[in-house]
Amino acid sequence: MKNLLEHMGIEPERLHFSWISSAESTKFVDVATKVTDSAKSLENKEKKFVKTKPKVA
Amino acid sequence: MESYIDKIKEISKRLLEEGKVDMVVGYRRGSVPTMHQPFFARSKAEVDELVWDSNCGLNLANYITDSQENIGILATGCNSRNIAVHIVEGKVKREQLHIIGIPCKGMIDRHKLSAMAPAPIASIEEDEEKGKVTISGEGFSDTLNKTEVMQENCTLCLHRNPVIYDELVAQEVAEQSKDEVDPHARVKEIEAMSPEDKWAHFDDLLSDCIRCYACRNACPLCYCPLCFVDESHPQWVGKSLDPTDVRTFHFLRAYHCAGRCTDCGACVRSCPVGINVRDFTKKLEKDCMELFGWEAGLTTEQRPPLDTYKPDDPEEFIK
Amino acid sequence: MRVIRIDKSDWDAGVEKLRDTYRLIGPVKEKFYHTFAALEAGQIPDMEYVNSRISPKYAIYPQSEIILSCSLNEDDEDYKIYHEPEDKNYEQKAVLGIRPCDADSFELVRVNFDTEEYKDPYWLRAYESTTFVGLACDSPCPTCFCTSAGSGPYSDKNLDIMLVDKQDHYLAEIITEKGEKLAKAAGWQTEAEEGATDAIDKSRADAESKIKSSVGTENLAKQSLLDLYEATVIWEKPAFACINCGTCTYACPTCWCFDIQDEVHGKESFRIRNWDSCMYPIFTTHASGHNPRGTKLDRVRQRFMHKLKYYVDKYENGIQCTGCGRCVSLCPVNIDIRGICNMMNSYDPESCTCEVTAS
Repeated sequence: MKNLLEHMGIEPERLHFSWISSAESTKFVDVATKVTDSAKSLENKEKKFVKTKPKVA
Repeated sequence: MESYIDKIKEISKRLLEEGKVDMVVGYRRGSVPTMHQPFFARSKAEVDELVWDSNCGLNLANYITDSQENIGILATGCNSRNIAVHIVEGKVKREQLHIIGIPCKGMIDRHKLSAMAPAPIASIEEDEEKGKVTISGEGFSDTLNKTEVMQENCTLCLHRNPVIYDELVAQEVAEQSKDEVDPHARVKEIEAMSPEDKWAHFDDLLSDCIRCYACRNACPLCYCPLCFVDESHPQWVGKSLDPTDVRTFHFLRAYHCAGRCTDCGACVRSCPVGINVRDFTKKLEKDCMELFGWEAGLTTEQRPPLDTYKPDDPEEFIK
Repeated sequence: MRVIRIDKSDWDAGVEKLRDTYRLIGPVKEKFYHTFAALEAGQIPDMEYVNSRISPKYAIYPQSEIILSCSLNEDDEDYKIYHEPEDKNYEQKAVLGIRPCDADSFELVRVNFDTEEYKDPYWLRAYESTTFVGLACDSPCPTCFCTSAGSGPYSDKNLDIMLVDKQDHYLAEIITEKGEKLAKAAGWQTEAEEGATDAIDKSRADAESKIKSSVGTENLAKQSLLDLYEATVIWEKPAFACINCGTCTYACPTCWCFDIQDEVHGKESFRIRNWDSCMYPIFTTHASGHNPRGTKLDRVRQRFMHKLKYYVDKYENGIQCTGCGRCVSLCPVNIDIRGICNMMNSYDPESCTCEVTAS
């Protein structure tokens, strides 16, 4: 899934997979921080897979 | 491949006569060049309508699912692999089928041909021995090498001979090896692009899509009773020509075919506007090969990799 | 009706002048086939084209069209009250180079959008604000059968102007008031030489003689609806081959069915009309889950019965087909309306056979 998303142009920074147990709260915080940081690093890039307002014909 | 037809008819008649099958699934002559019609024959007279040549590029495995009857089916390499996928997925039983194997020499690309012709094509003739195809229409007649006008998936095919069959209509043809052709050259080209260029490439690829769903419906893998794009409760995807919705359809459809797609090319062949949707599925084929050493439809014993779990499955993507 | 002469050297300049009054739509080559598209400044329609891949019905009836919108902001006075979007554009437009068969299709679908009881405001305004400049067809495709489908390569029934290509110039029949206006706006006013009408008639005869395939329609009205409905011999084979995609219906100039969808974007809601297709199972699926057209055979039969029998009986206006041949050439499994029409036309309920079995 990740591979195909990247193949069609989704930046690797946008999609993350992790295995976190309910007991691993610190890992959860770590991962969440990393995910948000890496997504934020793309702030200046065009958003993808976000629907725009429909155009009036 | 026109030389196969006598043998095809002979086998089909025999099967019907012996009562081994209730019908034989093949093609009958189409009313326009480059197109034949998927067809079933239940009588000897109908068997005489069967044709076989390089314009039989759909996938007949699409026509046998959920049937209770015994079916004789003509199957090229890719068609036979999709039959194997159906058997694994429980869509048809092996014992229902009598697979008439066809060593395939490649199908003609109807989109390429119509783009090359200076005017609408009125007739097409093939010289099998010389490997030439002659197209003609008002004010023109051109003879082309078949290799130039073959469907791209056929030029990259590594399994021209059926992988499962009950009998063959002719001797097996020589297979291409990975040293001769790189089936994933185009995937690699796209992989080398920047995310922006990739995005733009697929935007352009899908810009003509009219959401007729011919690609999906021509695909033997797309047998879901209700496709996710058609669901309304909940509704996953919008139905207009919004580019995000169009891309969601193509992307997810392709993903559903991961490890099951045999690159038969029926999706591209059936597309009225000639979109090469294989740009999605080829990537998945390559990944399945690299990650799982898997090629779809080569066995009826094993389920596709995304269907199963093994302790040693690659998982580098999980952090 | 009068005939004028437009030298091709005056064509481009005329088209440019039209932009002052009209939004222009015309054939352009995209990738490897033609479509009808809005012509940008300086862009000239490609009049050497054969025909567009998909019919130009979308010039009047877009595949996706916002028909209503509303605010979802509770503070707004018109919260959740649907109204027509303000920016809908019904200024005059001209479709240049449309083929006569495609222009004729608007007349066939009008019976659906413009009835005494109901008038479709979107279709009608788009239609009425459009001037059709047709291009007579001198090199029909092998799949064309317009002459037997109530249209023709020189059919000017639904055109405002018809251009006839004469190599270095066009002969233009000015057919309607709208056509007069357009010719004036473009500055095309040179009266054609004497004998122009004869020249057009000759070209018409030449073009018509090039149409090699045909459908028989004379018995369709007489046939019993139920006999045709139950004629397995007609439906069984095409229904097997059909994959139930929407190619035929979306490519067709006379298919008019649509679906209405609501989409939300932020604090706005949009009601969108999208083309739909009778080939899709969900087209007729009821909320209960029951589908009266539950099988492929039901759906294949519906498409042809609608075009070739229900329409014929209801409107007494001929078949709902102009013979453009798009469904024939684009159908991925080669279901050919010509063959089906001929079978329906020649079906004998006594023997359950058709005299004609192919195109």
